[in-house]
Amino acid sequence: MNIRRAVITAAGPGQATLPLQQIVDGTGRQTTALEMIITETLSGGVDDLCIVVSPGQEAAFRQAAGSQSDRLTFLPQSDPRGYGDALFRAREFVGDDHFLHLVGDHLYLSRSEDRCVKQLVEIAHAEKCAVSGVQPTRERYLPYFGVVGGTPVRNRPNLYEVQSVVEKPTPTQAEQELTVSGLRSGHYLCLFGIHVLPPTVMDLLGDAMQETQPGESIPLSPILSRLAGQERYLALEVDGVRYDIGVQYGLLIAQLAVALKGSDRDRVLTDLVELLATQT
Amino acid sequence: MNRLIEIITSDKDSVRNTALETVCRDLSGSELLEACQSLDRFRRETTNLYQRVRALFFLSSLYQDYVPRSLPAASEGHIPFEGYTHLLERRFREAVDSFLDQQRDHGPDIATASALAVAYQKLGLQALANQVRRSVRTVAGNRWMFRLGHPAEHPLRMRRELLRPNATPSGYPILQETTAVRMDFSHSGWSDIFFLAMDYPEGARVLNASIDLGVRGRDEQPRPPIETYLRVIDRPVLRLVSIDLDCQAEIEQLPEVFDFARDYLGLLKAAVIATGLVPSGLESCEQPMAQVLEPMIGSGLGLEVVSKVNGIPKGSRLAVSTNLLGSLIALCMRATHQVSSLTGTLGERDRRTVAARCILGEWLGGSGGGWQDSGGIWPGIKLIRGEQTRAGDPEAGISRGRLLPTHEVWGDDDVSPAAREKLQRSLVLVHGGMAQNVGPILEMVTEKYLLRSTAEWRARQDAGRLLDEIMQSLREGDIKSVGSGTTRNFEGPLQTIIPWCTNYFTDQLIQRSRERFADDFWGFWMLGGMAGGGMGLIFDPARQEEAKDWLQAGMSEMKHDLETSLPFAMEPVVYDFRINDHGTWATLLGDGDARMPDAYYALMAPNWIRAEPRQLTPLVRRELESLSDQQAGGGLPERLRSQLLTRLLPQPVSRSDAEESLETLLDRNGFDPLQHEQIRADLRASRIGLSQNRLPPNTQIEDVREQDVTETRDGVDDSHRRLGEDAIRQGETAVVTLAAGAGSRWTEGAGVVKALHPFSRFAGRHRRFLEVHLAKTRQTNRRYDASTSHVFTTSYLTDEPVRRHLADVSNYGLDSPVLVSPGAAVGLRMIPMVRDLRFSWEETAQELLDEQQQKLRESLRSALVGWARSVGEAADYTDNLPLQCLHPVGHWYEMPNLLRNGTLNRLLNCQPNLKYLLLHNIDTLGADLDAGLLGLHIARDNCLSYEVVARRLEDRGGGLARIDGRTRLVEGLALPRESDEFKLRYYNSLTTWITIDRLLECFGLDRPQLADADAVDGAVRRFSQRLPTYITLKDVKKRWGHGHEDIFPVAQFEKLWGDMSALPDVRCGFFVVPLRRGQQLKQQSQLDSWLRDGSAGYVDQLCEW
Repeated sequence: MNIRRAVITAAGPGQATLPLQQIVDGTGRQTTALEMIITETLSGGVDDLCIVVSPGQEAAFRQAAGSQSDRLTFLPQSDPRGYGDALFRAREFVGDDHFLHLVGDHLYLSRSEDRCVKQLVEIAHAEKCAVSGVQPTRERYLPYFGVVGGTPVRNRPNLYEVQSVVEKPTPTQAEQELTVSGLRSGHYLCLFGIHVLPPTVMDLLGDAMQETQPGESIPLSPILSRLAGQERYLALEVDGVRYDIGVQYGLLIAQLAVALKGSDRDRVLTDLVELLATQT
Repeated sequence: MNRLIEIITSDKDSVRNTALETVCRDLSGSELLEACQSLDRFRRETTNLYQRVRALFFLSSLYQDYVPRSLPAASEGHIPFEGYTHLLERRFREAVDSFLDQQRDHGPDIATASALAVAYQKLGLQALANQVRRSVRTVAGNRWMFRLGHPAEHPLRMRRELLRPNATPSGYPILQETTAVRMDFSHSGWSDIFFLAMDYPEGARVLNASIDLGVRGRDEQPRPPIETYLRVIDRPVLRLVSIDLDCQAEIEQLPEVFDFARDYLGLLKAAVIATGLVPSGLESCEQPMAQVLEPMIGSGLGLEVVSKVNGIPKGSRLAVSTNLLGSLIALCMRATHQVSSLTGTLGERDRRTVAARCILGEWLGGSGGGWQDSGGIWPGIKLIRGEQTRAGDPEAGISRGRLLPTHEVWGDDDVSPAAREKLQRSLVLVHGGMAQNVGPILEMVTEKYLLRSTAEWRARQDAGRLLDEIMQSLREGDIKSVGSGTTRNFEGPLQTIIPWCTNYFTDQLIQRSRERFADDFWGFWMLGGMAGGGMGLIFDPARQEEAKDWLQAGMSEMKHDLETSLPFAMEPVVYDFRINDHGTWATLLGDGDARMPDAYYALMAPNWIRAEPRQLTPLVRRELESLSDQQAGGGLPERLRSQLLTRLLPQPVSRSDAEESLETLLDRNGFDPLQHEQIRADLRASRIGLSQNRLPPNTQIEDVREQDVTETRDGVDDSHRRLGEDAIRQGETAVVTLAAGAGSRWTEGAGVVKALHPFSRFAGRHRRFLEVHLAKTRQTNRRYDASTSHVFTTSYLTDEPVRRHLADVSNYGLDSPVLVSPGAAVGLRMIPMVRDLRFSWEETAQELLDEQQQKLRESLRSALVGWARSVGEAADYTDNLPLQCLHPVGHWYEMPNLLRNGTLNRLLNCQPNLKYLLLHNIDTLGADLDAGLLGLHIARDNCLSYEVVARRLEDRGGGLARIDGRTRLVEGLALPRESDEFKLRYYNSLTTWITIDRLLECFGLDRPQLADADAVDGAVRRFSQRLPTYITLKDVKKRWGHGHEDIFPVAQFEKLWGDMSALPDVRCGFFVVPLRRGQQLKQQSQLDSWLRDGSAGYVDQLCEW
């Protein structure tokens, strides 16, 4: 298996400028969310990156990418038809190889020495199949994520055979179809936003484009569910945390998390305590 | 191993299905107690729920039916108050332990046995209910609702289609759900009861059909009787509207959703909770509704849920409530992505999810449908079957069957379109007008199943075979055979299992149908749990129309004839029906047609018009403007316009006929306005009331000693018997049966004449209480060649019906005089004092209900306090039928009435030898003119000889005591402490032997003075002042709408006969008589054990029919 290319989708409604947000990284350096995502992506050993953006956003993204901008290919998504369509725009870019895919509105912080992407890519190499990152998530967040149903892989902690993927299920459906043994009750395996996908996913997306009425949106979760039905597909419980910077206070929380894990932890903590103490 | 435990634990059907009676009928007393001990040990040790439950029901039956028979006739004892308190507070395990300790310390007796029977039965039912509750909560898809702890965690989102504003007056699209009801062909002997289906899934089978309905003469054609609507509104509240119950509420705070009895919106609230819109986990969350609605719908927006049942009356036995719940649940689940399709029909998977939520909703709402009741969600005809539990199910290791059944929908290959059509042209569905509580029947079925009583178990197998036969006939399109099968099912297995599933009215209806239509009457079809309400009758299609007309007229006529003796809730109706082939169905009413039904606007618009315009939201204003435009353009339907005007314009204040007739009734029945005002003043000043009923706390209350009573249970001396026989032969005796009551406990306040209720079959047909008493007098007359007069005392409620009935049946052919003694005093009920309501709920022992029902009760109580305050404490209660506003003033007045209305004088004139009266209650069926007891009374030279019986658990309300050293009867409401009653071994049966001349002497009268009305009135008035006046609360039913009923506790006063024994100048004696002679039938739920334990047989042998 050769994972040389990565696709980042950043053209969703309301997401077009999220990766451009300014943030201070763990070393105290001013950077952008995009640059952090690219750094995360490169930890997986990929050579080429492509970003699916809204038309006209290429220049802003190139600037936000900083020193990594030369490695980027931009694919504008005109007449967008959803997440699946965005990914499908990269079918020629990924060619016949497995590829890494990240969403552009999340930041990832690993709890281990290996970055989140690296953890996933290593499993993909070892198991020679598609792998999606997942995180056990409380059911209150079900309206925000795709959810994986599956079974634990024997003697492999944190690894699951994917049987189905459902986009934003209700808790009723989640309880009936997506309960995974070993998880706390009321917790489900929600997609983490990082995947290693096979080129066949592009065929499935192509089929979906054909089957769907013009203008109708194509989500990715049903495609992943189909993928699970035709080839081995694993989910890895990533040892890390994802931060959705698209939700209210999302960037603030992500910034705090990055700062508290970085070199200025004590300073930030002191400021936070002072802030708490002085607020009435 | 104990044989009973072997039966319980065996894997072999042949052993497991052995009847308890085959093992126990020949056991001696000590063997029975030994068996009880083993069973009790077993039920404590076993981990298998169903084995434990069966052991508990075995124990209950042993203590109910077998142990008492093995005890000596003169058995009596004390029930420990501690155990009784445990029982009331649902600590059944502790109650059992307390009663067993008593039995161990004092030996077995009839009192402890009765307490153990009840405690074991309740423990069994509690275990079963807990299991169903656990299963409901653990069904996949239901669990999350109990975990959610805060509105911010709400995971549901409204479908986008419902959030798109449109240009209609509604402002947002409306989701409409239309749903059928279900009609059983057969439920195989109530096999759909959860407990039963989960223990015996192989026997749990129901064939039912979803049907559309129309009321004949009112609706043009059948249509789905249930419609529900949901839409987004521009106010962050949950607006619930029940069009059929004429009720609406805007809920702004979360706790209001869980307040079920606050209004008539309990079913809508149950649906909102069961669908997770407001999940159960938020129950104790004191938050505004807007916090739940915002994440689900959006800021500033709310939700409106509307229900509409098209005039189908309560008690239709078509599971209207469950299917309405199903409809609301389907609607709410569609709206929140919880089922896959927003519109159209539902897939099988979604239907099952909806059905699971229905079970949850029924549990929340405190009702108890069977597992097949939500059948209207499914299309057409289907076979519903219990399922064996499999590994991985939440029920695995607990019950043999799953909670949810499977539905096999029958296509045209199974039942041809021609057969369906023929069925529709043959079957006539009716509502007979009776709306009865089916709950006790379901408990009886469960108990009988667990005991595997031989006849009932055989009947259950027969019911299964008959279902096969009915299904085969249906497949063959032979509707006549279907009718034959359903009739045999009703007359055979169903009545063998539960004789009370039929009644006099139903039997008459079937008999008349047979007489009129002969071979063209193809059969009777019981719907749901019991007959009398919704029922089916099958005719040759050629005569169906004629049958419909005939049934409409015939049922109304029968209802008119029987309405004083049977609890009719409404006028009978005949339905038109059609099989519904698509089940529940949803439509999204969008741009062109987003409009609520007219009846919605008739209910809501007047409130909007009365409100300040600035309080109305833009969308409500838009809807009002639209109505206004329609009116201006002539497009407003005439009916809606008329309804709006009626609601908007003040109604003329006129004295209605009802008010006038109340006054007339009061006047005619001896209402004393001065006494009434005095009672009102005393009530308001706290001089009288529930707490004032009680004797002073320092009163010394003891149980009687042996010398205080005369033991007669082992028989009386022959000399006394001969004395009594001579007195009967010489015409010295007459019987007085108290028939003034409406049997408020018997029919739960329905206001029928208990004396006329055809309550049970004797000698092949239903007999009334009154007929039973006359049959006993007939036998006495025959035996002693006597002519004993029989007097029925009546009241304003019962006088005219009793007289008419006696005339209609020519006193049932009794050849001695039958007299009616009309009541001469009546009271007007009052709104209770809040103080008395609270006393009744908090200071007297009350049975704690099941968790959810207790919540309902508490919510209802706070509503009742609000009602009493708003209407006015101690104000006259007039908001009901006039007869329901009056009250009898207590049975003490029955004897004085006999004096005042001249009945005693007439009796003495036509029977000059008359010296003694036997007075007894209408429900003391075992009381007869026993010569031995009469002789004893004569020999003792008593004025009054009261008959008392050994107390059992159910005998509450006082007893025989030594009060400050004097032996007398005491009412339960006069005892200073609840526990005092439990010191008393004997219970007052009220049956009294009276020596007439001695009684007259006490009143200061003699025989000649009976002709002087003024002297009699004066004597009675003077005497009455010597007796205490008690204030009591009585539940009164108020009927409204289509068979709906509310129950209100109202205040009334009474004087009681037992207090005569407290007067020092009245010489009284107390005879301890056998239980069968003294026991009273107070509630219909007693009937089954009364029949089973031989009491009915005892009564039968006293009668000559």
